[in-house]
Amino acid sequence: MILLRLVRLLVVLLVVTFLSYVLLNLLPGDPTTQILGLSASEEARAQLRAELSLDQPLTVRYLGWLGGLVTGDLGTSYITSVPVAEALAERLPVTLELLVAAQLIALGLAVPVGVAAARRAGRTLDQVLTTLSFGLLSTPVFVLGVVLILIFAVKLQVLPATGWTPISLDLGWNLTSVLLPAVTLGCGQMAVYARLLRTDLIATLQEDYITLARARGLSPRRILWRHALRPSAISLVTAVGLNLGALIGGTVIIETLFGLPGVGRLIVDSIFSRDYLTVQGGVVLISVGYVLVNFAVDLVYAAVDPRIRHA
Amino acid sequence: MPRRLGWGFWISAAWIALVLGAALAADLLPLPRYDETLVGPPQAGPSLAHPFGTDGLGRDVLSRVVYGARVSLGVGVGAVLLGLLVGAPLGVLAGYRGRATDSVIMAFNDIALAFPSLVFALAVVAFAGASLTNVLIVLGVLGVPAWTRLIRGATLSFAGREFVIAARALGARDRRILLREITPNVAVPAASYAFIGMAIAVVAEGSLAFLGLSVQAPTPTWGGLINEGRAVMDNAPFVVLAPSLVMFLTVLSFNVVGDRLRALTDVRQSGLEPGRRAPALAPAAGSRTTVVERAGDALLQVRDLRTHFVTGRGVVRAVDGVSFTLERGRTLAVVGESGSGKTVLIRSVLGLLPGAGVLRDGEVLLEGRDLTTLPPKELRGVLGTRLATVFQDPMTALNPVRTVGTQVMEPLRVHLGMKRRQARAAAAELLSSVGIPEPARVLRRYPHQLSGGMRQRVTIAMALSCGPDVLFADEPTTALDVTIQDQVLRLIHRQRQEHDMAMVLVSHDLAVVAQWADEVLVMYAGRVVERGPAEALFERTRMPYTEALLRAVPRLADPAHQPLRLLGGRPPDLANPPSGCAFSPRCPYARERCGTEAPPLAEAETPGHLYACWYPELVGREREIDREIDTEGVDTRGR
Repeated sequence: MILLRLVRLLVVLLVVTFLSYVLLNLLPGDPTTQILGLSASEEARAQLRAELSLDQPLTVRYLGWLGGLVTGDLGTSYITSVPVAEALAERLPVTLELLVAAQLIALGLAVPVGVAAARRAGRTLDQVLTTLSFGLLSTPVFVLGVVLILIFAVKLQVLPATGWTPISLDLGWNLTSVLLPAVTLGCGQMAVYARLLRTDLIATLQEDYITLARARGLSPRRILWRHALRPSAISLVTAVGLNLGALIGGTVIIETLFGLPGVGRLIVDSIFSRDYLTVQGGVVLISVGYVLVNFAVDLVYAAVDPRIRHA
Repeated sequence: MPRRLGWGFWISAAWIALVLGAALAADLLPLPRYDETLVGPPQAGPSLAHPFGTDGLGRDVLSRVVYGARVSLGVGVGAVLLGLLVGAPLGVLAGYRGRATDSVIMAFNDIALAFPSLVFALAVVAFAGASLTNVLIVLGVLGVPAWTRLIRGATLSFAGREFVIAARALGARDRRILLREITPNVAVPAASYAFIGMAIAVVAEGSLAFLGLSVQAPTPTWGGLINEGRAVMDNAPFVVLAPSLVMFLTVLSFNVVGDRLRALTDVRQSGLEPGRRAPALAPAAGSRTTVVERAGDALLQVRDLRTHFVTGRGVVRAVDGVSFTLERGRTLAVVGESGSGKTVLIRSVLGLLPGAGVLRDGEVLLEGRDLTTLPPKELRGVLGTRLATVFQDPMTALNPVRTVGTQVMEPLRVHLGMKRRQARAAAAELLSSVGIPEPARVLRRYPHQLSGGMRQRVTIAMALSCGPDVLFADEPTTALDVTIQDQVLRLIHRQRQEHDMAMVLVSHDLAVVAQWADEVLVMYAGRVVERGPAEALFERTRMPYTEALLRAVPRLADPAHQPLRLLGGRPPDLANPPSGCAFSPRCPYARERCGTEAPPLAEAETPGHLYACWYPELVGREREIDREIDTEGVDTRGR
């Protein structure tokens, strides 16, 4: 069972890396023009092409690059002369911290909101919460970020608008600098999760075993948290995994907006500086990370749902 | 359209129309050009001439937002169309063909979904160049997997439906089936997703533009405007807020429209709070009850219980003035067809119906104490300890993700305050008392690891755990194997005797009722139509409906190939019941009076035997005819 999943994971990883590599290589435009500019001489171009192995067939280049990927070598940026893997490794902790903080905020808010709404489905509180989360869901992350900066950094001046303090330097300042970006990123996710949990809980609450739990005289609170939440949490876990893609897309914007030195910002900066290898490395890192996290979610899923665990 | 779209839908649709109209007619509107600088003082606040103010270069922000809508909406609509054009045929193909085609398409789809789309769009636009065409193509292509998945799902759910299978069986060509039968049904979910997809595409384009990777300056885009506006946020917040607000409202409107369209095909309602007490329900027409229950010291007494559901089609009188009395040690059977109100009666007695849209009136007296007026907390104490319940389907009666042990121990710990170890021992004992071998092992199991019979034993054990006075068993064996049914009924009966409980047994199986019940209550259309001691009711039936139920029971003495004497017609629509006696349209003895006047419950010669019929003396004829036919049939064959 687990072996089959591992095989599938490997296939997906191969395809994902191949597509990332090939698509970015097949795109129109000569990378040498992009790197050297239009005025470069033909000799310089040829030299660069040989340097980048662009004169070899695509599959050969891919395999060579994949071999490097496995050993942690993504090439060296010819713009900054920094090894791509090193640059990414340096930026990764920032992005990870942002992602984890955003997920924690999103889940921490979504569970009580979803439960409160489901418990009083159709009543005023539910309608207010549902409307609010629908509004949040429809707010692009950069719009929310701009509004939050305007309120907390410009008007109230309680939180920094931009900047980053590494966790190793000062925990307090680190948390202060991650708070606003994480809230911005987490809010939209919160709405997604809360809506999902609400719908799922409402369905679960109509199950016979819930009616029977009520027939046994258990309190609504107990029924919600102990009987209904766990089956419903299963769909939530899946959503957390699937939404990671959206969340990662969000980090690119958040890091740019708040000036955080993460992977997303590195990718954007590299795009503008035409640092082609770094962009590729970043995209592959994110894609592979996303696939791996979803694989982990599948495993968690099995742990939460005994029906799957024993199947 | 069966359900209303609501005002939110129309406001949103109007906003979309407004933005779309403004974008299309931007050149005709009395606006300065988007790139004309110094049309007013730079960074001037909103004014009559410039409703959204001016930016750092003195350009009109409103004009820039309106022209920006061209790109945003253009990409939104274009990307959705592109995704639909590619994704829909793939989805229909996968859903309709199935098998290998489906596997291949979906495998590619899953992999495509494994890319974080924005990052990918970013990279592609970065390499291919930031232009309108490239952004549109990338966002359109990125939308394809979602479209394929959606259309496949919708097609799949219709491809198996009767009307499509019928069309196939009639030899209709595939293309014709797809065009005529499936397309119209897929249209609503597709239309819904089209709007959601536009919201997604508008946000995605905005994100790219915000990063400077969409259409390049000087052409304004919403994301680009927000990005530019950040620079002057301190002095002129409106420059960034105006496009933000417009963008938010537009995305919201797309989502609302999509959501409302989706809601058309999706109906769900629930709640966890107990039903509110109805502010005195009007008694149903002609529900005069001539025999009034006397309040007494009976164990359980239900008096004039009414449960009405307020639905879109009107008020459904699911339980309409039901009364009965149950003494300790007795078994009362509640009989009737599906939809006669048996299950709602039980749930209503226990106060288990969802709150919204349910009206309940009447009294439920447990040793003289009215449960309908108890505060929720006290009611829970009674429910857990004195009244117990077993439901029909053991497959759904246990929580699938909690162990049997946790579930059996829960009432012991909550109501009897047992410690974990003590509760575990008591739970094991309970399981073995209901005939479960190796109870300690079963306690560690999950419900899906047990057979149906075992699960029902577990639910019975749970019901008995706190030593209840009344056991409500709602068709406890209907979902079980025939061979297990008798075992479980015997078990319930034995437990009832051992614990000196009373039992309310809901059943549509009259053979079961005849064997186990002391008293019988026959329900039709939410009302009691006959009630009394089992023997009297079976021997001297006074109500045609009871007779019809009895006739429908196959007898061992029936000759082979004897057609079942089915009850003709259908149970009435409870939102719109027939006038007079509800059974009259199906009754073989019905006369004029039955269609106009509902018969009250009258007392028969046997004490406690009540019936609701104007012509009880006619009842019994049909059964005599049966007997004659049976005898003749046997005779004929004998000759």
